[in-house]
Amino acid sequence: MGADVMDVDVVDRYMTELGSRLQGSKKQVRELLTETRDSLADATEAHLDRGLTEREAQERAVEEFGPVREIANEYQAELAVAYGTRTLVWLAIVLPLMHMAWEYGRMLLIGPWRDFGTMPPDWYLFIAKANDLTSGIASGVALVALVLGRVLARKYDTKLLARLGATIALVAVGAVLLGNVAIILATAHFDASRLVQSLPMSIASLVTWIVIVRLGLLARRCLSCATIVA
Amino acid sequence: MKPDALRGHLDALLLATLDGKQLHGYAIIEALQQGSGGALDLPTGTVYPALRRLERAGHVSSDWSTVGGRKRRTYKLTQAGQRALNAERDAWREFTTVIDGVLGGGGKWAQT
Repeated sequence: MGADVMDVDVVDRYMTELGSRLQGSKKQVRELLTETRDSLADATEAHLDRGLTEREAQERAVEEFGPVREIANEYQAELAVAYGTRTLVWLAIVLPLMHMAWEYGRMLLIGPWRDFGTMPPDWYLFIAKANDLTSGIASGVALVALVLGRVLARKYDTKLLARLGATIALVAVGAVLLGNVAIILATAHFDASRLVQSLPMSIASLVTWIVIVRLGLLARRCLSCATIVA
Repeated sequence: MKPDALRGHLDALLLATLDGKQLHGYAIIEALQQGSGGALDLPTGTVYPALRRLERAGHVSSDWSTVGGRKRRTYKLTQAGQRALNAERDAWREFTTVIDGVLGGGGKWAQT
């Protein structure tokens, strides 16, 4: 009985240790671990057919699979790239959509700048324009990074690609965040009443901030996944 | 054969193994070992990240299906993967021809 428990534990122990070292999308981690368990089960069966005992077969299967630290590192690099890809897809899609929705809402609910009693000064329009551009550039950079990531997938080290992807995502979100903070501060300085002029636009702004914070958390986790790779 | 010597060729070996076939991970490992007469001595766990890398590059695609009563992820070559495999084969032939020409002293392999 005691020996049986020990036999079962060889693969289970390996799986537990491997799983504890992985960080990334839950679905991706689950799929990698499912494949690993299947592979170890297949290898164990193959060794049983060659006449080994269950314990010997499991030990051989685990040994052939590779040292858990080395395998976890390789898995983690892939998980980090997958997480980075997901974050960049979000950036490439969400930022332009969010910008278009916000601009459309502003035109619909507030109207063009010239309809205000006083036209904003040039410095304000400059910041507004820079903010618009930042969002577009961040989205474009994310898109280019996604295309390059696919083209370079086999040419460059996965760990390097994971770190690059995470850095690009973090810088892109940081730039968008900075642009939004700048426009709010500029609006508050120019005419604070415009910040709360329209309830729907205030709600739209809140949604925008929730999305930016969400993207920021994704980018931060992306970096965390990429940097735990040895 | 040492793992370090194989690592640089793992992608090409995996593409070749999947040529005209749809296989799950362990079947790929078995095919690799059989194809090499057991000479390939690579930690089998390194095959899975390599398959993901090939999938990211668009050279293989994968699907979950039930094989032998167990749910498995199976892999197959894409058209881009087939082209990449042909390019790998051409590059390998060129490489071995050149090296054989020098190491083999322009022997029989260099003439093929």
